[in-house]
Amino acid sequence: MQDRYAYYPGCLASLSQKELDSSTRAIAKKLEIELVEMPSVTCCGAGDIHEAKPDYYLHISARILGQAEQMGCDTILTICNVCTLNLRQANKALQEDKAVLARVNDNLMQVGAATYQGGVDIRHLLWEVSAGEGYDRFKSIAVKSLEGLKVAPFYGCQILRPAKILGFEDSDRPQSLERLITACGAEPIDYPAKVKCCGFPIVLAREDVALGELVQPLQQAKEAGADVIVTPCPLCHLSLDAWQRKASAFAGNDFQIPILHLAQLLGAAAGISESELKFKRHVTRLTPEVKGKLKLPSVVGIEA
Amino acid sequence: MTEIKNAHFTTLKGAYDTEKMDATLRVRRYDPETKKSRFDTFTVTIPVTASVLDALDAIKDIHDGSLSYRKSCRMAVCGSCGMRVDGGAALACKTPMKKFVDAGHTITVSPMGNLPVIKDLVVDMAPFWQKIRAVKPYLDTLDVDVPAKEWRVAPEDGDLIHKESLCILCGCCVSECNSMESDPEFLGPAALAKAYRFIGDSRDKDTRERLRDLNGAHGIWDCTRCYFCNQRCPKHVDPRDAIAKLGAESFKEGFTRDEGAKHAKVFVDSTYKGGYLRETELVPKTIGPINAIKDIPFALQLARAGKIPNPLSPHKAKDNDEVKRLWKLLEKEAKGQPRRATAKHPDAVQGD
Ligand code: SF4
Ligand code: SF4
Ligand code: SF4
Ligand code: SF4
Ligand code: FES
Repeated sequence: MQDRYAYYPGCLASLSQKELDSSTRAIAKKLEIELVEMPSVTCCGAGDIHEAKPDYYLHISARILGQAEQMGCDTILTICNVCTLNLRQANKALQEDKAVLARVNDNLMQVGAATYQGGVDIRHLLWEVSAGEGYDRFKSIAVKSLEGLKVAPFYGCQILRPAKILGFEDSDRPQSLERLITACGAEPIDYPAKVKCCGFPIVLAREDVALGELVQPLQQAKEAGADVIVTPCPLCHLSLDAWQRKASAFAGNDFQIPILHLAQLLGAAAGISESELKFKRHVTRLTPEVKGKLKLPSVVGIEA
Repeated sequence: MTEIKNAHFTTLKGAYDTEKMDATLRVRRYDPETKKSRFDTFTVTIPVTASVLDALDAIKDIHDGSLSYRKSCRMAVCGSCGMRVDGGAALACKTPMKKFVDAGHTITVSPMGNLPVIKDLVVDMAPFWQKIRAVKPYLDTLDVDVPAKEWRVAPEDGDLIHKESLCILCGCCVSECNSMESDPEFLGPAALAKAYRFIGDSRDKDTRERLRDLNGAHGIWDCTRCYFCNQRCPKHVDPRDAIAKLGAESFKEGFTRDEGAKHAKVFVDSTYKGGYLRETELVPKTIGPINAIKDIPFALQLARAGKIPNPLSPHKAKDNDEVKRLWKLLEKEAKGQPRRATAKHPDAVQGD
């Protein structure tokens, strides 16, 4: 863990998933890390620009990486699986081929954008707090034990695979979320679909195929007795949370299982208030029972 | 412990002198006559250099001759021995046993997923071949004077389809394909990688026809980007990357009517217009205004939770003119280039 990161929340956390951005900022403050804003970055393209216009994707990624460099940061902190994979994929392509990097920089220069020298790493919040010094820092601020809360970890694909680009842990048997859930005093629940896809990338274009994927983690986590599911990805969150009613109808089973962003779970254990964790921005609401287990400090007069 | 009398160990010069180890395997059995499945556990003594396939051979020779699995080359070339090792598809002949034995771990061997099981570890590959056939896996040569002796391909053109040409048709990528679990008709990673191998071939003339076929139901836009195929492929074909390349080729050729393509286009346009994604446009532009209206109750649910940002004030990144100029520059550059041997695709990175 470092003391200073270029902070790339991505579009979802900046728009529909604002609760993730606010929880991340709150937990960063507790962890005493500085998040440096990147005011002129674009969307990373969520794999869609990568697919439709690969050359454009490479350039906008280089522009994002170049901005971090110019701010004097050698690491970008991400809070989204999809951003993490897309930026790391582009970074690999740019770092491994000097001719490609030179051409991209030439074009960036022509349009007056920041160029990229190749010296930036992209790290997801999950990786930074689940191991090494970051884990110790988190342990020291996790003052509230969320004892009795059963948490089903849902990794999502693009923080695990392809391992040659992500490579933080064994992609078939990851343990980072379990480690953090345990550090929060809660109990991790195991189920096979925790490493599978939630279907989000195709939920608009191929809803039935996507729902067939989405019901698996919901069903299995529920059957294993989980109170909540936690995920490091705002796209997975949107799918598991906002599409949950559709998944319930599809499966003929009313799941009603609240979905937490990783930063919200960590935040609850660190005693951060509901006004910053903003659970009210979820479509599937927290039940009073779960609220109790999360030990949320109720702040009188503040709408969370 | 039973001593190995397996012929292929004895024929290897000095094989009997190599150090041995005891390995335990849990093997999934399926009997097509009784339609019952079970797990059997076997312990065999094998050379320290043995693969999972060698261990299965030892089991078959010594313990149970009825154990069924496919094999041929024993050197990761024929693509016969795909099976799941601890739940993940792999070539049995390319997976060494030693690391498991050293860790004191009993591996579980089971048949590949997404294909019907015939007996024990043998799956029915018919649906796999049917999908490969569906993408017309052969060259339809351009209407030019084909050189009499050999038709040379420029190295840069060859590079474009190098990775996809490495496929040995083993099926490991298909085994854990999440979209195929949900839609068994999905063409899937192996067939789509094969499709790209011909679409990207500078001698083939059917580019547009091929792309048109792949842009419909069960085609490229079914892929949920779970990346299991890239993770499992023993030959580093990276089928998901081939699918991304097919998406890019579809855009180049103007096939943008599939919902999946429209979805991708919203992202492209949003960086260009505002920096961050214009989520308010994602739903109507992907599934069309009529379907979006049908989904009004759903939209209201999202709106109540603050998930639909105000369309009147879309997020705008600072200095976004840079991005606009960049877009124009690249579009101009792309127009001046021949369709093939263009700038290297970012996923064409070799040698991993
Ligand atoms: S997650 Fe999303 S939507 Fe977001 S920045 Fe990355 S791609 Fe853009
Ligand atoms: S689970 Fe789905 S949305 Fe979440 S990261 Fe994987 S592909 Fe993306
Ligand atoms: S990335 Fe696409 S093709 Fe590959 S396994 Fe996942 S869904 Fe299937
Ligand atoms: S793409 Fe890879 S995993 Fe899939 S069939 Fe070909 S060699 Fe096997
Ligand atoms: S036996 Fe041929 S690939 Fe394994």
